Amino acid sequence: MAAVPVLEVRGLSKRFAERRGRDPSSWVIKDLSFTVNDGEFLTIIGPSGSGKTTLLNMLAQIDTASGGELFFQSQAAPIDDPKSLKPGLSRKIGYVTQEDNLLPWRTTLQNVLFPLLVQRRLDSETRARAESLILAVGLAGFENHYPHELSGGMRKRASLIRTLVYDPPVILMDEPFGALDAETRAQLQDDLLRLWSLGRKTIVFVTHDIAEAIALGDRTLVLSRSPARIAGEHANTIPRPRDIRGIMTHPQFAVLYQRIRGQVQ
Amino acid sequence: MATPQHTESPPAAGQARIAASLRARGDQLLVMVLLFAIWQGLSLAFGTYWIGSPWGVAARLARGVASGEVLRHASYTLLEAAAGFFIGALPAIALPFALRRLPILTAILDPFMMGGYGAPKLALAPLFILWFGIGIESKIALVAITVFFIVYFSAQAGVRALDGRLVQMAQVMGANERDVARHIVLPGAVPYIFTGIRIAMPYSIGGAVIAELISANRGLGYLIQLAAMNFDTTGVFVALTATTCIVFLGNWSVSAVDRRLLRWRPRPDLDMQAGS
Amino acid sequence: MTSRETALAIPEPSPVWRGQFAITAGRIGLALALLAAWKLGADAVGPLYVADPIGVFQRILGDTLSGGLLRHVYVTLRLSATGFAIGCAFGVALPFLLRRMPRLTRAVEPYIMASVGVPKYALVPLFILWFGIDDAPKLWLVGLLVFYPIFIAVFAGIRNVDRGLISMARVVGASEAAISREVIWNSLLPFFFAALKIALPRAISAAIIGEFLVGNEGLGYMIEYSRQNFDTTGVFAGVVVAMALVLVINAALARVDRRLNAWRPVERHMEP
Repeated sequence: MAAVPVLEVRGLSKRFAERRGRDPSSWVIKDLSFTVNDGEFLTIIGPSGSGKTTLLNMLAQIDTASGGELFFQSQAAPIDDPKSLKPGLSRKIGYVTQEDNLLPWRTTLQNVLFPLLVQRRLDSETRARAESLILAVGLAGFENHYPHELSGGMRKRASLIRTLVYDPPVILMDEPFGALDAETRAQLQDDLLRLWSLGRKTIVFVTHDIAEAIALGDRTLVLSRSPARIAGEHANTIPRPRDIRGIMTHPQFAVLYQRIRGQVQ
Repeated sequence: MATPQHTESPPAAGQARIAASLRARGDQLLVMVLLFAIWQGLSLAFGTYWIGSPWGVAARLARGVASGEVLRHASYTLLEAAAGFFIGALPAIALPFALRRLPILTAILDPFMMGGYGAPKLALAPLFILWFGIGIESKIALVAITVFFIVYFSAQAGVRALDGRLVQMAQVMGANERDVARHIVLPGAVPYIFTGIRIAMPYSIGGAVIAELISANRGLGYLIQLAAMNFDTTGVFVALTATTCIVFLGNWSVSAVDRRLLRWRPRPDLDMQAGS
Repeated sequence: MTSRETALAIPEPSPVWRGQFAITAGRIGLALALLAAWKLGADAVGPLYVADPIGVFQRILGDTLSGGLLRHVYVTLRLSATGFAIGCAFGVALPFLLRRMPRLTRAVEPYIMASVGVPKYALVPLFILWFGIDDAPKLWLVGLLVFYPIFIAVFAGIRNVDRGLISMARVVGASEAAISREVIWNSLLPFFFAALKIALPRAISAAIIGEFLVGNEGLGYMIEYSRQNFDTTGVFAGVVVAMALVLVINAALARVDRRLNAWRPVERHMEP
């Protein structure tokens, strides 16, 4: 399968707006370049504060860049002018943020249906898809609950399928499982891989957890500390389907882990 | 007394709490009986000229309701309060939404709105009566202007409390400006607007009654004034009771709507009444 | 963090100083426009409904110089101050008293809360009946209107005092009175000041409205008397002075509040 780049980043840089009376702020991201191939599961690792969220915000087109270029499906996306930003690039790029950002006044089902609603695609077929996704992540029976009645893990799951429901070809994920306990996390990683394997979308998954990055990804990029740039790239050939709970026993796991660990320091 | 959040307590403590709660209810009943007894005692001691007896007031109230007179005046006052409320509240809610993307306009308006909020609107009652006569319009105007400023600030707070991340999320999913306003800004602002409505509601009834006290020919305030001028204390009490009932009715309806509309809110009970 | 960077949520004026100039200019402009509208309204509608602004200010000036207006203002302020003092005293003392009698408090609380629903202004005719046509009914009105917010605030403030602090004070041997003074009073001060900001302007408007209904002196009397004589200029003059009075007091309170905020103690139990 030839690697077709769906997302390409060249020389991306970001520094925050200067504040009156302060020194110009330092670069958060400087000269970052990488490619994302169609259908791959790319994981990005970096220490906290290394600008991972900022990077995803730029990819999702909700934030501007201070320099560099971004190409989506070989077409340039405007990323330097706030007025020409197109969040989500017309629904081609989905974004599962760190906070679940569920609308508190909508039930689980209503939240999952929300993107279909604003995209004017709500019909019996998409509704059925939503309901099957709810089942797939184990939220059956909680369709009519409000977010404040759900546990953190359940809200995460709802937020996850809310993006999956409208099937964007590329999905960005910002440490979606970070705040969860180990067991829930393992379960969700499992669910994610399963759902991903059904549709083979492109996923860009950011995390600070090396084990997670290896367990999930086809390829792992390592970001350096501020100003972030690519510190390393690691191909991951552990065969799929992968067993999340047992992956650590795979010989390649330890090798990858050591290598990545060395770079993250 | 304060009831700090208890952690899981054993059944014995639970039983003790039920017993305490029952005792409190008993005490409250006792107080009510005591109050009525004192009332009755006072009316016997000083005579019904000074203070109508509970029984007399109840009887007169029943008669007034049966004859429809009380209800007629009550509905007049209610009409003033309700009409004024809507006329005041609707623009007060709409304005912050309309100005949402024009913060400079909002900033320009702010001191004027604060001035309007702080100024005693009820002091305008004679002016409105001068303008609109002693009929229903002057009362509606007074209520409207009182309610407007209260609800404006609540609605403004609601619009300001907008969580930017929810907006971003919706935009990534393809929502346009109108979607954002309808699905994110508005529902988020509703709790705040409701607080404003809850605060404004007693003011709307109070404003109507005050205007009626000054000059009117119908309504509960008019009834109060009429009875007072005829030295009919019992009549005053009847009208006062009716007025208070209407306020409670209003409070109850607002709470009822609040409960339904805002089911989605997590409810840490901040009420003072928690525990009674 | 991200919502700060995104330009797509609520826009912010940038750079700040340029925005400030436009805002101030806009405010001045709006004020002038309102005054102009007043003048035009007076010319258009006639002196019965809208008094000419210049006439109004001349009247205010004239009345002030002749002393009549000052007398009215003084009467109103004296009434407000007295009523305020009474209402405040009871509003502060009662919760402290109730603190020592928890059983009584639980028994009485629902009735106190229910009595909040009685519109106090509606009681004025009753007060007139009982207490005559002098200051007494107005004092009752002001007192009650001040009492309730202060009472509720102090009551809630006492209830929300950090019990840990009280226990600590008891352990080191403080008497009940000392606890009341040191721990409780300081903890509830923010609540008290918040209520003060509500109660003080209320005292003045209550005095004015009381004067609508009874009496022969005071700002409210002046306004209502003018109305009954169709003296629109007088009505406007009185209303302008009343509004200005309350707004000045509000502004003064805000200033005092800001200065006192600096030393406000850490509130561990303040609700968000």
